[in-house]
Amino acid sequence: MTTPSHDPVTFDIIQNSLQAISDEMFAAMRKTAMSAIIYEVLDMGTGICAADGEIASSGAGIPSFIGVLDKAAKAILRKHPVTSIYPGDVFVTNDPFYGGVTHLNDVVLVMPVFAEGEIVAWTANIAHWNDVGGMVPGSMSTDAKEIYQEGLRIPAIKIIEKGVSNQSVMDLMTVNSRLPEFLKGDMWAAIAAVRIGEKRILDLVAKYGKGTFIAAMKHFMDYGEQVTLKALKELPKGKFSFAEEQDSGQIYKVTVEITDDEFIVDLTDNPDQTLTPSNASRDGVVVSCQMAIKAITDVSAPANGGSFRPLVVKTRPGSIFDAQEPAAHGFYYEVEIRVFDLILRCLAQHLPEKLSAGSFASICGTVLGGPHPDTGRHFTIVEPELGGWGAMPGRDGNNAIFSGFHGETFNCPAEIAEARYGLYVDQLALNPEEGGEGQWRGGKGIRMDYRVRADGNFLTCGYTRSRIMPWGMEGGHEGTGNHVDVIKSDGSRKRYSFATGIELNKGDVVRVVTGNGGGYGDPKKRDRAAVLDDIKNGYLSAERARTIYGVEI
Amino acid sequence: MSDKTIRVATDVGGTFTDLVYFETDNATGRQTVRTAKSDTTPPNFEQGVLNVLAKAEVDPADIAFFAHGTTVVINALTERKGAKTALITTEGFRDVLEIARGNRPDFFNLQYVKPEPFVPRYLCREVPGRIAYTGAERSPLELEGLPAILEDFRAEGVEAIAICLLHSYADPRHEQAVAAEVRRLWPEVSVVASHQITREWREYERASTAVLSAYVQPVASRYLGRLEDGLASKDFGGQLYVMQSNCGVDSLAATREIPITMVESGPASGFWGAAELGRILGEKNVLALDIGGTTAKCSLIENGHVKIMTDYWIERDRTASGYPIMVPVVDLVEIGNGGGSIAWVDDFGKLHVGPQSAGAMPGPAAYARGGTQATTTDANLALGRIDKDYFCGGTITADMKAVDGALNALAEKLGLSPIEAARGILRIANNNMINALKLVSLNRGHDPRDFTLVAFGGGGAMHAVALATELGMKKVVIPRGASVFSAWGMMMSDLRRDFFVSRLIEQSDARSAALEALLHETKLRAVEQFAKEGVAADKVKLVPFIKCRYQNQEHAVEVEFTSATVDAASIQAMIDRFHTAYEREYTYRLDAPVEIVGLHLVASAEVGKLEMNALPTTGATLDQAVKSRRDVDYALEGVHEATIYDLAKLEPGMRFSGPAILEDSGTTVVIHPGNRVSIDAYGNTHIELGA
Repeated sequence: MTTPSHDPVTFDIIQNSLQAISDEMFAAMRKTAMSAIIYEVLDMGTGICAADGEIASSGAGIPSFIGVLDKAAKAILRKHPVTSIYPGDVFVTNDPFYGGVTHLNDVVLVMPVFAEGEIVAWTANIAHWNDVGGMVPGSMSTDAKEIYQEGLRIPAIKIIEKGVSNQSVMDLMTVNSRLPEFLKGDMWAAIAAVRIGEKRILDLVAKYGKGTFIAAMKHFMDYGEQVTLKALKELPKGKFSFAEEQDSGQIYKVTVEITDDEFIVDLTDNPDQTLTPSNASRDGVVVSCQMAIKAITDVSAPANGGSFRPLVVKTRPGSIFDAQEPAAHGFYYEVEIRVFDLILRCLAQHLPEKLSAGSFASICGTVLGGPHPDTGRHFTIVEPELGGWGAMPGRDGNNAIFSGFHGETFNCPAEIAEARYGLYVDQLALNPEEGGEGQWRGGKGIRMDYRVRADGNFLTCGYTRSRIMPWGMEGGHEGTGNHVDVIKSDGSRKRYSFATGIELNKGDVVRVVTGNGGGYGDPKKRDRAAVLDDIKNGYLSAERARTIYGVEI
Repeated sequence: MSDKTIRVATDVGGTFTDLVYFETDNATGRQTVRTAKSDTTPPNFEQGVLNVLAKAEVDPADIAFFAHGTTVVINALTERKGAKTALITTEGFRDVLEIARGNRPDFFNLQYVKPEPFVPRYLCREVPGRIAYTGAERSPLELEGLPAILEDFRAEGVEAIAICLLHSYADPRHEQAVAAEVRRLWPEVSVVASHQITREWREYERASTAVLSAYVQPVASRYLGRLEDGLASKDFGGQLYVMQSNCGVDSLAATREIPITMVESGPASGFWGAAELGRILGEKNVLALDIGGTTAKCSLIENGHVKIMTDYWIERDRTASGYPIMVPVVDLVEIGNGGGSIAWVDDFGKLHVGPQSAGAMPGPAAYARGGTQATTTDANLALGRIDKDYFCGGTITADMKAVDGALNALAEKLGLSPIEAARGILRIANNNMINALKLVSLNRGHDPRDFTLVAFGGGGAMHAVALATELGMKKVVIPRGASVFSAWGMMMSDLRRDFFVSRLIEQSDARSAALEALLHETKLRAVEQFAKEGVAADKVKLVPFIKCRYQNQEHAVEVEFTSATVDAASIQAMIDRFHTAYEREYTYRLDAPVEIVGLHLVASAEVGKLEMNALPTTGATLDQAVKSRRDVDYALEGVHEATIYDLAKLEPGMRFSGPAILEDSGTTVVIHPGNRVSIDAYGNTHIELGA
């Protein structure tokens, strides 16, 4: 009895299995990682790439990480002749100029999968490692001017060759971290994940044969392309341009052209790269564009290399969206999410059934560290924050949810934070600020207070959408901004959005405030019952109900 | 003493209420089994139970042991038919339910809608006062505002109150004080505090657990009360136990207090049954598979142990974050693939099976109730695996024209022949189930080849051999009465409670004393609780598992603590086992310090469970069990003429080989070519795979 190959059902089974393998890699890594930002926040991703490096399937996690893994695999293929790549190798990169795409904290591991002497796939993962050296704890400094200040650069090299660990590389990485034990734990979690993926793919190849496996991969990519093309046909065609002022005063511009078979994002007319860590690599900006095209085409279909074939991205080398060596990249993600948000804002009025009014739209990366008052051990929190999303026709925005750049990301419970970090979490509440009113209103951001319990703590934050608020649409009000208030024990108070190494001592409070999303439609048209509900639920004062919504009680 | 012992298990499902009756002759040991089915009778579900007892001609006065399973809790949750519930929480955390964890599994979808909390914001209220993570009081509880809060709740028609305060897992005194004051001020309202259900950390999960328990409490309590009254009115005087999600049973009184523990009781009894069957047969490592009409569920049993965890969520999938319920639930993976799962082709020519199900209405196309879409059951009929002339035990005439019509439509879209489409449905459905089985085995470091597959439920036996073959397993066991196996599992269950306690114990000189204190106080709590159920301390079996992790990790691995004394040596032995268990599950070990993060204490006591006796043989021959022969399509293995056996006529000791089909009114067992079959002393079907 021979197994029929190249039949559609076999293809489906192989493709489903690739998804299951990516999920398994994700689960394995999550459970074994040492850092809360990986296992709790799930600032990580896993995936399988085809032999040429195109992404075939990905595990849950952060959508913005999925587009990274293929670029890493391709960078390895560019740097290493195929003849020098062996079964059992594991590559590591974290450098945006060597396929690392993001910033040095995000470490990517990639493993080739060999069948009959030939690479048939790659397994890969990416995760935010707490500290990779550099000028400040946590490695991300808003003061960095060059990438050299942001930590150890790992340029797509082998950490394991033919199954044997390269102890020299591991030692070098470990000794460059302020948190070497965390680094070791996270590294082995990542190694375990790519190895599990390799093993499972080999099982699959053994069962169905190499030819069938490769054909199924190719078919899967074509399927991804067909899904995007079909969705593109249903979008309004044309050329749409938009320019938006940023918190920094810079103007970002985009032109999006949608045709029957292409989605062209032109970002060439934009500022030069800067001597700050707010730069992005071209690869990183492509990821922003991939997320945008995915969000407005078919969100339920798998995202693979084929899905993004119709995407064309134009950038200018040396610009903030195509930064060249030695640009610093620490806060690349705020640049990327700004590009993502810019594309959404550019298209929102043309696609009201798919896109909302403005959201808080920032990672709101918060780094807080110091000595644990009970154990004496040093701790570092590295976390994104929850915020409010914009309203859409027919419904209010989501309250307290991570940005569009995050997905299956979890916030840290106050009970865990208090035990692990030795801080007090005085409150974690919805942001009571006014704003974002409309026929449908924006979702609420959060207000969270961390009270520091020991001297010698520090805070770094990198929030955008702090000065330029989330936009309202069709008469809806704009939302509110993201910022951090540091309230010293003497009662003095200072507001920050982009800052490094703010000193904190016992009794000081770090108040994280994230934006309320923008509203959609004229507030006067809001259903009276919905306004009364908002008052009852404490989202709205009776006074504001009268002045903004025109509802008298 | 009566000369026979009667045990009854009833299981209230969505459509039917099932009954299994076991009568053991105390002199001869001879056992008689009866099963019955009657309609489920919402909203007065207890009436269905009394009906099925009457239908089976069982006099409640004769019953010694009555085990009851019900979906009343999960139904109240999914249909949003619980009580109007309010939440009292710590100052600063009123929005705990609204905020939840902020995650979004459907991560490209910018139109994602966060699940709506079970308690609206205006019914979430705060009290000042803080406990630290160590359990120490940071600031005293202030109850001055409580009367006004309760007045508001009364005015809003609140029926149930959940209380969840920060760090109550470490010290519940504030929660206890709030609960006592609520009861004093408003004795009629239903109230539950989170520490009564769980002593684990994570405030959102604990608050959600308390809220969902409060939400179902009035409904479940009324139901259980009426069941008790209904049985009492028929002079029932035996022991009444309710099936729980942790594979144990518990008393009716305890269940009325914390009904949320019943949430997954249905699957739990089947998996417990598989573990008990494994014990009887000497099969300690079992992969258990339960295939029903709309879903397939599986669980792994290692060395006789079912794994109980508290990482359980309802309504959670790839597109929704769902709601956590932190109660002990058997570790299972569930997928939307059952007999009624609908096969469909997407816009790009890809074939999918499930998760949409044709349910009971319209059901598979073959039911002739208007179903036009092909289901897994229709594919099984088309391939001759299910006998079209003995469909549903002959109670339904299979509409093969409708089956052909549904398959033709599908085949056209796929560019395949109808038979190839039917094979495709089976292969896709099997692949989905294989991925689920891998999730509970390979994904957790277990090689399925070291396990025996025990398959049950309406569809388990139909797919079991194909799945086991694919996974390289050597043996499949189909239990006798596979379609009502869950009810059998209930009769095999112990009175059981699982105590999960979060407590961080770092590596230090004080570690032994701290662990000893944790063990001591939790065991004391267990023994006290069992005493209330009339179980003496020496009858309570206590098995402690310690949750360990490498320092700074979050996810812990459970290792059994086998020593009676806690000292440096026994802790070291436990840590050694931790390294081994960790390495097996995750492929590496670290030399990092190991810390203890909590305890899982399993407390159980036998309460009159069934002891299985061998079946008598009549001397009938194998030939007498043969019904016929027909062509059966084994998908990838081609078409073979199979011998059709009447499952009811197969007796202990009989042996034969595949290809074959074994059928009775509730079960169809598909035996592939080359399989070797034997019937064991209890009537279970053993299938040996491979050469």
